[in-house]
Amino acid sequence: MKNDERFACMIVGGGIAGLEAAITLGDMGLEVILVEKEASIGGKMILLSKVFPTLDCASCIATPKMAQAANHPRVKIMPYTDVKRVERNAQGTFRVTLNKRPTYVDFNRCTGCGQCEKVCTVGRPDQFQEGLVARKAIYIPFPQAVPKKAVIEKRGLSPCSRKCPVGLRPHAWVALLRAGKVKEAYRRALKDIPFAGTLATLCVGYCEHNCTQRKREGALPIRGLLLFAARKVLGADQPPEIAVENRLSTKVAVLDASPEALTTAYMLARAGAQVSLWGDIYKTGETFFSPHVPEWFWKKELKCLEQVGIEFKKEKPPEIEKLKQTYDLIIHLNPSAQQEQTDNAVLTLPFKAEKTEDLPVVLGKVRAWTQDLLKALEHALPFLEEAKEASSSGGERAVKDLPYSEPPVFWSLSQAQEQARRCLDCGLCCECHQCVEVCPAKAIDFSMVPQEVEVECGAILLATGFKLYDPSKRRTLGYASYPNVLTGMQLDRLLSPTRPYNWLLRPSDGKLPGNIALVLCVGSRDLTGGTRICSRICCMYSIKQAQLIMGALPIAEVTIYYIDIRAFGKGYEEFFTQAEAMGVHFVKGKVSRIEETTNNDLILFYEDLIKGGVKKARHDLVVLATGALPQTEVLKVFKGEAPALDSSSFIEEIDPYLHPGRTNIPGVFVAGAASGPKDIPDTVIHAGATVAHIVAHLKEIGWS
Amino acid sequence: MAKKIGVFICYCGGNISDFVDVEKIAQEIAHEDDVVRAKTHMFVCSDAAQEEIIREIKERGLEALVIASCSPKLHLETFRRLAQRAGLNPYTYIQVNIREQCSWAHTHNREEATEKALRLVRAGVARARMARPLKPIEIKTIPAALVVGAGITGLRTAVALSDLGLTVHLVEKEKRVGGLLNHLDRLFPYGRQATELIEELRREVERRENIHLYLEAEVTKKTGSVGNFKLTIVGPEGEKEVHVGAVLVATGGNPYVPNPGEYGYGAPGILTLLDFHRLIRDCRGAKRFVFNGHPVRRVVFIYCVGFREKKGHRFCSRYCCAAGVYAGLTLKKDFPQIEQFHLYRDMRTYGSLERLYHQALEEGLVFVRFNETHRPEVLETEEGLTVRVKDELTGGKELAISCDLIVLVTGLEGKEQQKLVDVLKLPVGKDGFFNEIHPKLRPVETVIDGLFITGACQAPKNISESVASGLAAAAKSGVLLLPGKLDLEPQIARVNLQKCSWCGLCAEACPYEAIVKEEIQGKAVARVNPALCKGEGACVPVCPEEAIEVQGYEHQQIKAMIDALCKETA
Repeated sequence: MKNDERFACMIVGGGIAGLEAAITLGDMGLEVILVEKEASIGGKMILLSKVFPTLDCASCIATPKMAQAANHPRVKIMPYTDVKRVERNAQGTFRVTLNKRPTYVDFNRCTGCGQCEKVCTVGRPDQFQEGLVARKAIYIPFPQAVPKKAVIEKRGLSPCSRKCPVGLRPHAWVALLRAGKVKEAYRRALKDIPFAGTLATLCVGYCEHNCTQRKREGALPIRGLLLFAARKVLGADQPPEIAVENRLSTKVAVLDASPEALTTAYMLARAGAQVSLWGDIYKTGETFFSPHVPEWFWKKELKCLEQVGIEFKKEKPPEIEKLKQTYDLIIHLNPSAQQEQTDNAVLTLPFKAEKTEDLPVVLGKVRAWTQDLLKALEHALPFLEEAKEASSSGGERAVKDLPYSEPPVFWSLSQAQEQARRCLDCGLCCECHQCVEVCPAKAIDFSMVPQEVEVECGAILLATGFKLYDPSKRRTLGYASYPNVLTGMQLDRLLSPTRPYNWLLRPSDGKLPGNIALVLCVGSRDLTGGTRICSRICCMYSIKQAQLIMGALPIAEVTIYYIDIRAFGKGYEEFFTQAEAMGVHFVKGKVSRIEETTNNDLILFYEDLIKGGVKKARHDLVVLATGALPQTEVLKVFKGEAPALDSSSFIEEIDPYLHPGRTNIPGVFVAGAASGPKDIPDTVIHAGATVAHIVAHLKEIGWS
Repeated sequence: MAKKIGVFICYCGGNISDFVDVEKIAQEIAHEDDVVRAKTHMFVCSDAAQEEIIREIKERGLEALVIASCSPKLHLETFRRLAQRAGLNPYTYIQVNIREQCSWAHTHNREEATEKALRLVRAGVARARMARPLKPIEIKTIPAALVVGAGITGLRTAVALSDLGLTVHLVEKEKRVGGLLNHLDRLFPYGRQATELIEELRREVERRENIHLYLEAEVTKKTGSVGNFKLTIVGPEGEKEVHVGAVLVATGGNPYVPNPGEYGYGAPGILTLLDFHRLIRDCRGAKRFVFNGHPVRRVVFIYCVGFREKKGHRFCSRYCCAAGVYAGLTLKKDFPQIEQFHLYRDMRTYGSLERLYHQALEEGLVFVRFNETHRPEVLETEEGLTVRVKDELTGGKELAISCDLIVLVTGLEGKEQQKLVDVLKLPVGKDGFFNEIHPKLRPVETVIDGLFITGACQAPKNISESVASGLAAAAKSGVLLLPGKLDLEPQIARVNLQKCSWCGLCAEACPYEAIVKEEIQGKAVARVNPALCKGEGACVPVCPEEAIEVQGYEHQQIKAMIDALCKETA
């Protein structure tokens, strides 16, 4: 998409630094575009509990800044967007290409009601709760999100869905069954194809062959699961409801009752066309299905075709010319060669022509799906092929890629669910369409694709913040294996008003922790991993956490293991001495190893640097204050010269004395922790400083 | 006529709801007259909640809005903007503080806290019932700023303001610009010479026509208010009055001078960090590190001198650890043969400054950690100086380090400048530094609109941090002054001319000198200067005629609020 929009400044990153700069620039009358990779602005600060040294609640400070930026007439916020390319123009301005990732939710319609989250069948670790709990594949980032809109996390299609030759969504019915939604599972399959249960019995199972679990613990019995759902639903004697999209006035005649013709009729009818079909469908069933599928079953499935409003005509089809007077489209599997060439209203399978004026919508949908239908069916359904051979004069036998094996039969839901639970949700969203059905605003749109937006801007502010060291890299600390070893960010989530367990509980057993260790400098001030520099915030946030823990759990013991306590800012030393006075234990020593006891308590091995000697201490919750690491992926998108990094790989300020926030590229500035770890007050000031640079730069290049 | 009032009550994510039953308040308040909507939200200030409230205001045709949440200091403006977006006059919005004034104050009695909150909200509804739409007072702003102090922060801030197109008056009490940096040597982290930085900025200031520099000058008087201050500058050339829209204070901190005898201070060979900077600058030229004619072979640095003390300065002076380490590195570079011992309490080379500490360790500087309860002892003997210290990290082993020089690594304390504080009405904190209005929301602004604090007058800061805060304040000044006009709070005092008979009591009571005597048709009455009045209300209770009241807090409203507060319900 070409876009001629111009902005005085593009800000990358919607954390507190980006927000502060955006609001200040906007207040000065400059147009700003703020690009955020997550679905909500707010960055790390909005996820914190309270903030040192004033113990203000983080939400109370960040939330209004988020709202102010979002409502600012001169600030345009682009959530869920990446910067794809930055090129410097001759005039000193920048041409920026942005990539708006598909949210699969129309933000103009979504009201943030959260109904979709309740019905979604795929669980994902909640990145905004630091993985302590799960969220759904469709999610609103967090309660104070701006914008408060749902997005769908989707990574293409799962292999099972991607490899289905007829384009079904096996992942969807597996996920629905896993959630105990049997009727919905069967109905979901019927959305894409008629007599899905029968086909499941006959299909060789590309889905299973491509299942990621196949090479691990064995593929999921995907066909068997669908068959289970189909039998359960059809056995209950209640025909499933099948939704028909907008009813159209288009009339279609289908002059055949082969499985392909039935499928086409069904799809057209589902898309809203008024379909009449000549032929004996039960004869079709007998010919194709009877040898392999119980009669009651395929009969009931065929009956479902009536659900979508196909009109079955028993009599002999009239002449084509006569049909043309009533029908807009005639589908004929064996037309004469002459008809095929001359008559656009008569379509043969696979479609070779289309009558676009009358049927654009319906055909657009069905054609894409049907073009390879025959081929696909031949591949997937060896029995169909054989039946065809038997009934016709032969023809070339298609090469079968896969041997056929009968799908297993499940007799109970729990049996089926046990299998369905093994699904790895490879593509994340499974397209089960539960959200589509429940959304009152009709906001879900799976047709979204990534969108490129080009803008011109006078300056660029990098406010990409930092990321946190992954402590599972340090195996001796047991973060990956012991449930009661958390990170500092996770503890902040546990202490936050929007906390996951609604109280400070330890994960292994939900017990109130009584003896908590906070371990500083994990992956910072460290020559063996993480970063060698100091992360600047951990001493203070750990002291804050210690105070909050003592407020929440008055009898808890809190010990902080430190190298140096760096309480350097305004009011920080006083905050530190206050924690000492409250009874927080401070131990100078670096923890080298953590072991777990049988009741999930933890033994810390550390060297006590004051009293001397290697010591052991038992705690029931251990929190690792992980180091702040550079997050500078955005630099890759710069064409030509990119902003330089300092020796710790943060974005370098070329003159920290007189021009803090200026990079080596004229017009590119850096604010907040992207240039090195910073606490909130320093970040806000730093961001304010870059505004002064940006305004001066715009004047210099004559931006107007 | 009855007004349709909407009441929205905030959980504040537990800050309120943990101690006050907000749902109960919503239920009860819904029965009040005129209240057509009462609802709770997890965070009223969140965008989603704001949007919903706006929708409700529009759909239900609400005419006044009450939000029971935090202090108006935090979010009055947030919610006024909300009201405005919803098409209401922002002054028909009433904020009720049930957090600072209720939930946080009564954390141990949920029932009574709820009762109190309910009464406060009822009073808010009573006030909302009578709230009249008001129009902000628009004033023209002067596109100029005054910067007090021409140290590195003041100089850089002046240049930034000039970049924004504002006229700058830069006032320095000394004979030359540069402040503390005139006395410093190389600066961390990259070793730039302090005087070079000052020279660069001095030339830049000189070059600019819109910067007026006043040396040996002081600000002696301030009148007016935000957007339109009048300040008197007294210098060698006499008095000058300047008109500016904003005032930026960049007076820096005061380098701490140890008390006589503090770590032996006063004896020869015991220097402060500042003295050391001068010494090494002089010695570098001579290529010999000599003190008082004696070559120096061993230097001991003692950190945290005068700070982090139970008596005296409790705070940490922030930059001195890095400055001490960097002084050591500079010494090592110029005079590698000199041995160095650094006695510290906590090594606070925070963030990227840790690199300096690393480098120092790698280059063989010896660091010894001491505990505040066992301080290093400085002994003067005939052979010279000796420092005795218990090395905490070797199990308290006592070291006696004989040396030729001791450097007391001193930091910055707040400056004694009562005159300026009085003239500008600067808010001074307990630690002697100036206070910002909020360290995270508005870190360079003060309670006085248009008065900014930058650099080390706010708290100890290093060069980069000082300059950053100066630039941030310059940007905020730009926000204030570049549009050319400014809306002032209309909730100010108003005189009922019929009732007023000019007794002058109100003028006496006013701390802002906003009330003057005026003759209208032969009758002496009080007149309020809207640019000066803060709506503080000191004039109201002293008026014998009840002729003066604050708009938005009229007598009738206050009485209705009191009635609502005292109302007993079954």
